[in-house]
Amino acid sequence: MNEFDNSTKHPIFTDDAWGYVVSEKSPTELNEQPSKRFYWFLLTPAITLLAAITIYPFLWLIYMSLHEVKLGPVDDKWVGLDNYAKLLTDAKFWDGWVLLAKYSSMCLSFEIILGVALAVILNNSKYEKVLITLFLMPMMVSPVVAGLLWFYLYNGTFGWYHWLFESLGILGGASILGRPETALIGIVIVDVWQWTPLITLITLAGLKRVPQDQLEASMVDGASPIRNFFSVSLPNIFPFLLIAILLRFMDNFRFIDAILALTGGGPAGSTKLLPVYLFDVSFTYFKLGRGGAIALTLLIVTIILGMILVKIFEDPARKQAMSNEN
Amino acid sequence: MFHVPKNAIYKTVSRRKFLELGGRAALGLGAGALGVGLSSVITRNPVQAASSQDAKWRQYEGSKLVFMSENTPPSFAIRDTISKFYDLTGIEVEVITDGLPAVQQKVGIDLQSGNADFPVSYVQDKPIGSPFADYYADLTPMLGDDTLPQDIEGYGDGVWFENFLDACGRFYDRDRLIALPYDAAVACTFYRQDIFEANTKEFESEYGYRMEFTKDTTYKNMLDYCAFLKRKREAGGNVPYGYAQHHGSFAWTTQLDIQRMMFAHGRWLDWEIDDKLGSRTPPLSNWGDEQSVLIMQKFKDIADVSHPDNLANGTLELNTVYQSGDIAMQVQYHEFAASCEDEKTSKAAGGRTAYAPCPLGESSWIVNGGPAVNGTNCGIGGIGINGNASEDVQRAAYIFCVYATSAKLQYDVLTGLGGTPTRKSVLELADVKAARQRPTTMPNALTFEAVYDHGIRDPHFVLGPKVPEANEYHSIVASETQRCVAGSASAKEACESIKAQIDNLH
Repeated sequence: MNEFDNSTKHPIFTDDAWGYVVSEKSPTELNEQPSKRFYWFLLTPAITLLAAITIYPFLWLIYMSLHEVKLGPVDDKWVGLDNYAKLLTDAKFWDGWVLLAKYSSMCLSFEIILGVALAVILNNSKYEKVLITLFLMPMMVSPVVAGLLWFYLYNGTFGWYHWLFESLGILGGASILGRPETALIGIVIVDVWQWTPLITLITLAGLKRVPQDQLEASMVDGASPIRNFFSVSLPNIFPFLLIAILLRFMDNFRFIDAILALTGGGPAGSTKLLPVYLFDVSFTYFKLGRGGAIALTLLIVTIILGMILVKIFEDPARKQAMSNEN
Repeated sequence: MFHVPKNAIYKTVSRRKFLELGGRAALGLGAGALGVGLSSVITRNPVQAASSQDAKWRQYEGSKLVFMSENTPPSFAIRDTISKFYDLTGIEVEVITDGLPAVQQKVGIDLQSGNADFPVSYVQDKPIGSPFADYYADLTPMLGDDTLPQDIEGYGDGVWFENFLDACGRFYDRDRLIALPYDAAVACTFYRQDIFEANTKEFESEYGYRMEFTKDTTYKNMLDYCAFLKRKREAGGNVPYGYAQHHGSFAWTTQLDIQRMMFAHGRWLDWEIDDKLGSRTPPLSNWGDEQSVLIMQKFKDIADVSHPDNLANGTLELNTVYQSGDIAMQVQYHEFAASCEDEKTSKAAGGRTAYAPCPLGESSWIVNGGPAVNGTNCGIGGIGINGNASEDVQRAAYIFCVYATSAKLQYDVLTGLGGTPTRKSVLELADVKAARQRPTTMPNALTFEAVYDHGIRDPHFVLGPKVPEANEYHSIVASETQRCVAGSASAKEACESIKAQIDNLH
């Protein structure tokens, strides 16, 4: 007999005492399963909201890319794949992709290297909290303000950084934004200045999760701090780096505020990345159909590249997780 | 956990009572909002207004307008003295100012989407007027409406400076007027007279003519001045660079810069269209012809001996370069004279700067058989009324337009913040005439001879091109011109690329 059998309990603990009807059926059979319709009913508000804020604009983007769109009450004209066909012969569209690839890869490379290095230096240091607070300050600045701030710092007439570069004989008389060869580097520096702290912050969070026993075991085996970092810390922070890289990669494909303030895409189109060109096409030329086609291709490529990045980083992260479990 | 008084208010109000109170409050607020909303919809009877001048001005008393404008002196002046307009009319006007690219985008969206969030807006001739002309109200019926207040000078072509009404008011259709001239920015040459005088002997011994700037100074002379000053500077001489062009981030300024030089040589135009009226369907362009390639090359030659940061400077930055004493010449818009003459901020102030028309075309550089002229262009900012607005809002907006373009206000702006008049009568005033000579309390008046007496008159003035895709056209021309200046493309390649792109625009 089970020790919790009702018959052995004090009357106050029996079901009868509480007025319950004791069923012969097991509890799972007490209530009928709600129908699928009921679940849909419950989900409807959330789906409606989600559709309104994400799916509808996405569908509208597809619609725009297939039409010649006018903002006013004029009917949009169906043009099929014309907007896409025009992109194939649009040199600025392809130049925009090349510049975006250069810009994004430069920004990501510098930000990851600097961000991880800073996180390693800061981790468990005496002034960690104060320093991380200071390092985070650029991130708090609005991108437009950051763009204007650096625009003035780079200015060839009164910019302090320009004076510094000129004094060191780095750039000569032309400012960094005044030459097509260096303007891209100028905007990369601003992005690195503003967003490296984000990588530092995320990496620092990852470093706090590195198992101490693995680190200690590695040290006992005589591994140097550098070996320790590459063999123990780095594999453990891969999932964190994945998040950081994904965030920054997607931001690089979207954020143009600082670039508009710094160069507006010039000089000679040397900083006209695809999103800047998209902005021009949509809001300066008001060619919303063509803008829609550019935006959709940009979105699709962003999703594909994002999936590739996840795949690249997922495997080492999963292996690491499995080895931790073992 | 927390102390709760026994007589707490929420305990004395039942849930039902609370809901009732909430419902009444919401009803009250809704009714109030509806009342306020209805009162802001202007619905008046214009016939009553015709009874007196005062009634005409005050017929829309209590209503509100929003004026979206560029951040230029007239807009600041109007904003700072807007209470005078309110006192006169009882109409509240919110003046919003922004950089021209932002104004163009905001106004463009408002007009095209059928809204009237900005019932009155700045109609900068090419960037705003050319693409959005159809969305502005036709002012012609209101100009003669006796139920509206009217300017005593009227609005005919004769009361404005030459070509101004065409520049900002007429697009593609001579019978339709969409804006009245409100703000003018006309190009002329600012040069450092002190530097020219100090170096003229040395220059003359080398080049065989004096270093001076007059209406007969050509682009070739300018090239010589720049080469001379650059060489002297690089040899350790204490002289600035000769010149810098308009580039930077706003494409229109670069297009205007190359356009001036092209027009100066044989009155070359992008398209064979009516320059004052524009065309919705321009023919194939002239870009890529021998004349355009030659001048593009000369434009690059001048850039090569100009300030080394040439490509970084937009119009505002270029003026700062000049103010800081780093260049001896700039072709700049005459509204900037006030800032150059300000001794607190400018090394070029204190009588060091003199003003001349834009450089003359060099006859040996003309291959199309046309004349050499002082190619002068402009940005004539008009004030226009949103065609989506209701008839009453349009009429209220018209009252503001009449006020904003009046000679009295233009005179006040000229003497106050340093404006640039669009009405001829302002220049006839005795103190304005006197202000053309130093010492002056109206520094912009120092440019009037170069601008109003010469540059804006035919055959020197170039207004267009007015085409619906003006902004994309500006972007293409600026980008290819900058590629040529930077050495990424030859003059021929740049001109042919411009042609290939703009011939497909319309």
